Amino acid sequence: MGRLLAWRLSEKGHQVTLFESGSLEKPAGACHTAAGMISPLSELFHCPLPVYQLGMQSLQHWPSWVSQLEQTTGTNVDYREKGSILIAHPQDRNELLQFQQELNAKLGPENRDQLQWLDNNSLRNLEPELDRFDQGLYLSSEADIDNRKLLPALLKAIKQNKIEICENTPVDCTPEIIQTKNGSEHFDLVIDTRGLGAKNQISRLRGVRGEVMVVETPEVQLNRPVRLLHPRYQLYAVPRANNQTVIGATEIESEDMSPISLRSTMELSSALYSIHPAFAEARVIETRVNCRPATMDNLPVVESEPGLIRINGLFRHGYLLGPALVVQTETEISRLTQATQQVT
Amino acid sequence: MADKLKLYGKEFHSRLLVGTALYPSPAIMRESVAASGSEIITLSLRRQSPAQQQGKIIWDYIQESGCQLLPNTAGCKTPKEVIALAEMSREIFGTDWLKLEVIGDDYNLQPDPFGLIEAARELVQRGFKVLPYCTDDLVVCRKLLDVGCEVLMPWGSPIGTGRGLMNKYNLQTLRERLPDTPLIIDAGIGAPSQACEAMEMGFDAVLLNTAIAKAQNPVLMAESFRLAVQSGRAARNAGLMLKRQTASPSTPTLDMPFWQQTISAENGEKV
Repeated sequence: MGRLLAWRLSEKGHQVTLFESGSLEKPAGACHTAAGMISPLSELFHCPLPVYQLGMQSLQHWPSWVSQLEQTTGTNVDYREKGSILIAHPQDRNELLQFQQELNAKLGPENRDQLQWLDNNSLRNLEPELDRFDQGLYLSSEADIDNRKLLPALLKAIKQNKIEICENTPVDCTPEIIQTKNGSEHFDLVIDTRGLGAKNQISRLRGVRGEVMVVETPEVQLNRPVRLLHPRYQLYAVPRANNQTVIGATEIESEDMSPISLRSTMELSSALYSIHPAFAEARVIETRVNCRPATMDNLPVVESEPGLIRINGLFRHGYLLGPALVVQTETEISRLTQATQQVT
Repeated sequence: MADKLKLYGKEFHSRLLVGTALYPSPAIMRESVAASGSEIITLSLRRQSPAQQQGKIIWDYIQESGCQLLPNTAGCKTPKEVIALAEMSREIFGTDWLKLEVIGDDYNLQPDPFGLIEAARELVQRGFKVLPYCTDDLVVCRKLLDVGCEVLMPWGSPIGTGRGLMNKYNLQTLRERLPDTPLIIDAGIGAPSQACEAMEMGFDAVLLNTAIAKAQNPVLMAESFRLAVQSGRAARNAGLMLKRQTASPSTPTLDMPFWQQTISAENGEKV
């Protein structure tokens, strides 16, 4: 969120200083761990309506922002608008029906065309490798982005825009003041996007542990994110460049940052294997663990007061909500600026 | 006369126990718990690194509901795992109440009766108030009572299936043969009507999670279950009529002139 916001604000002509508690080259936040899905419909099943609405707004911004970013940095970030697919094993067909029923109820009759039931043939046309499945759901408006490419591209753009960068600098944020171990610095406006780093400032902010694996095999070629619905083990598989697939993610009410558990490894990999047996010979390239910052209602927080905006609680929706919250912040900055001008 | 649920010497007004997992958010969970009227709520620790207290924020949030906490041992497969987790739960939450789960089969999450009895014996000796999640097997239930459990929680059907009371014969047998033991139907309840039915059969309470947490509107569903459980209990106390083979008119027809019967029939009245 921080570097996306910094880039957008610098593009709008603001003078920006970016503080990072660690390294921007080797980010440690949930943004780096995530799979980069931009899936408002899939999330609507579990989440309140505002997450869907903000996600749909983000989907409108991503294409032009990505295009601008790729053009200015000469970097491809693999933004993909191919939708996503939901599948379930025959014995779990009710999971698909439940998903469809609940989404239709939440979307209302005017938006039901966003959800398309796939039979055997239509599923194979979209994803030939999913030949074990006879049915599925297609969410055509969803997208995804390769966050491992996006984050360096944003860093490059930030540097090109001459943003001042202060790495390895943990901070405290108060109105107009950034406090570091070396003292305080004054700014017109401080925007706090520290995630769990701002735990003491945001009421009831909690970390929700998520575990992700990256596997590699040339034998299974998926074209878009696939979600397996199962009564116990929910899995997404997001294909990436170089025959890699990101699979995830557990969701555990714990702030434990220790390495992935054997149980989670088994659950994720067996669910993946059940999608296609050729995943059995995939190589495990990486396992990632992080804690998503979340509020008790799992909705994002945007708090504003003169000299300070706090954005937090993006939970598992960083890439889904990021652009919409950036635009909200831009509007809020304009409002705060006008208010300040009226006072002076 | 107060009709209270009495478990391990403690009295409760509500006969609905609910879980705290699977909700869209912690806030909706707490709102649902309030709407359910529950005074006893279960929570799971197994995957939350309890030794390091990494789930403290959410545990505190649950504790603020003011309900009797019933930590569970979901995910444990051996008595050894159970005992370790139970001791941690007691230390974290300051309660010796425990919903004992020892899973014997991964697919249908059926309790392991042998491990269950072994773990229950040890836990009772360690001073826990054990509420075992068990099958509807009479012999297993008796053994659990023998080792010191004062409450039993037989399943209605496997966890999360929503299939309701699968084996009514066994359940009825339990109720009849163990008339003085508090029996709580735990797991498998998918609809308020099923909870109501359990209460009509004479069970003391119902415990459920998925049917509320996974509803499109969990708060409304929680309220629905509250009413269903109350209704089923009231019906049980009121005395349900027995089924009959022969129809019996609710309006006496004796001495009614034949033309009155015709008028009644034309007005759609049952005779």
